[in-house]
Amino acid sequence: MNATLHAPEVMTAGERAAEMAKRLAPYLLVIPGLVGVLGVLGYAVAGGFLLSLNETDMFLNKTFVGLKNYIAIVQDARFQNSLWRTLVFVVASITLGITLSMMFALTLHHVGFGRRFFRGLSLVPYFVSGIAAAVMFRFIFTTSGGFVNFILTSLGLPAPSWLGDPTLAFTVSILANAWFMVPFATLILLGGLQTVDKDLYEAAKLDGSSGLHTFRRITLPLIKPMMGVSLIWISYISFSTFDIILALTAGGPARATELISVYMYQIAFLELDFGRGSVLMVMLLSFNTLLSLVYLWVFVYGDRRYRVVR
Amino acid sequence: MASRAETAMDPVHERLGLSAGLRYRLGRFLLIGIPLAILVIWTTLPILWAVLSSLKESLEIYESNTLLPANPNLDGYRTVLAMRGFDSWLLNSFLVTVVATIVPLALSILAAYGFARYAFRFRHVLLLLYLIPRIIPRVSLIVPLNSLMSDLGLINTYWVLFITYTASAIPLSTWILVGFFAAIPKEIEESATMDGANMWHRLRRVILPIAWPGVVTAGVLCIREAWNEFAFVLALINETTMRTLPYQLYMLKDSMGVQDYAVYNAFTVLTVLPLLIVYLLLERRVVESIVSGAVK
Repeated sequence: MNATLHAPEVMTAGERAAEMAKRLAPYLLVIPGLVGVLGVLGYAVAGGFLLSLNETDMFLNKTFVGLKNYIAIVQDARFQNSLWRTLVFVVASITLGITLSMMFALTLHHVGFGRRFFRGLSLVPYFVSGIAAAVMFRFIFTTSGGFVNFILTSLGLPAPSWLGDPTLAFTVSILANAWFMVPFATLILLGGLQTVDKDLYEAAKLDGSSGLHTFRRITLPLIKPMMGVSLIWISYISFSTFDIILALTAGGPARATELISVYMYQIAFLELDFGRGSVLMVMLLSFNTLLSLVYLWVFVYGDRRYRVVR
Repeated sequence: MASRAETAMDPVHERLGLSAGLRYRLGRFLLIGIPLAILVIWTTLPILWAVLSSLKESLEIYESNTLLPANPNLDGYRTVLAMRGFDSWLLNSFLVTVVATIVPLALSILAAYGFARYAFRFRHVLLLLYLIPRIIPRVSLIVPLNSLMSDLGLINTYWVLFITYTASAIPLSTWILVGFFAAIPKEIEESATMDGANMWHRLRRVILPIAWPGVVTAGVLCIREAWNEFAFVLALINETTMRTLPYQLYMLKDSMGVQDYAVYNAFTVLTVLPLLIVYLLLERRVVESIVSGAVK
């Protein structure tokens, strides 16, 4: 408007440099970290895709073989076993994980005393390494000197070999995995519960809604995005659980706990078949991406119709 | 909660003739107390059992299995601390944790400031490139990373751990910090600009102090990742002296003939303890950040 009052738009060299610096600043800020992320993780992903199309020998000499590794893996009975085991493991972990974390979140939300203490306590397993968690669970379930068998023997009950029996070992590994992943999911859900407007509960109570009904009709829809986040976390952890299984059962007994990640490690690092190992990497990645996208779609972006309530 | 307790307990209580206050308390006790007990037992049992077992005598478990150690002693811990190599595993863990916390934090602070405060071309694409790696499970990368790092001759070096740990810590901490930085009103920074503060000053004097809880949270999560990391160190290190504590804990089974429960559990407790102390000191900030949805 008052451009006429200004001198013609001619920038001095200094001003131009300052302008340039201002425009470049965000890139200079953002690029260094990105170099690290893409340089290592991006390169590894790309390298893995390439590796999966090659046959490798013990000395890592590569020959391009196209989809041969993929076909070999899909036809491998050991892969089919591990895929099946992984799916059961993930479904069981999601069911147990979301049930426990919802129960814990509701408890922490309503507890009247020591709320900060219990909240802080509930997150402790999140800071225990997968290996340490696995070792702890091994000593809880170990046949002689384990906590569970101590209790069972004291009660005069038979003491099974928890980690020696395929079904029991599979169950124990689900428990250990749940112990490790539930705390974070609990706090995410707790955050969701705290955002729900208390007036809604009052209104529901006045309308004579029962506790369970209120939970299903008001709480659940309102915390749907948080449900999505914790489901993503739980499935992500379960799909790629590795350290817990390796230290707890090493995939045994009789390959009962050989999930895809463990199978991948063994085929690549013990049998030194990096080509096939990379095929499994590609599969792990695709499963995870697919699952995350589905959850995001269902829980976070599909959430719009509930915004009205809020 | 009250309504749920009351409706559920109504008929019984009317028959028993309990007062409303008592009814409320009893219902609350059942509905909160039992799950709370499960929560506490579920959370602490594995750790408590490890601590109790670590205080028992070496062969106590094989002779008579008791809940509490008959003769509590610290021999297990003494044996662990005297293990040949324990000091180097501890030092390795400590070193990689320090580097893989400071470097990613510094890079993430810069990046997050860029994303939170500037509108620039490719902003969304670049942000996406930062965030996509978060859905990549660490373990899936061990095969190509081993082959890549062998080609570079980096296997069995500190560098390989520094690089891979730093790279995998950046996405989460950037995401956390973008949220915290973006929540700071622009006006605060603008007034600092008028006072003649340049970008570095604004970042150091204005942004970081306000967003400090976010920096602490991101830092604790970096520490957690690095201290507990296992897949990368397993794939990229095979020299005994270069191991970190979790890796050595994993190898402990093979290096012991008869499993010495006390030593094994003492080792576990010692690997877990330092991180739990860090958590204990900064617990409030971390829990707050997760509950408020800043970490996801």
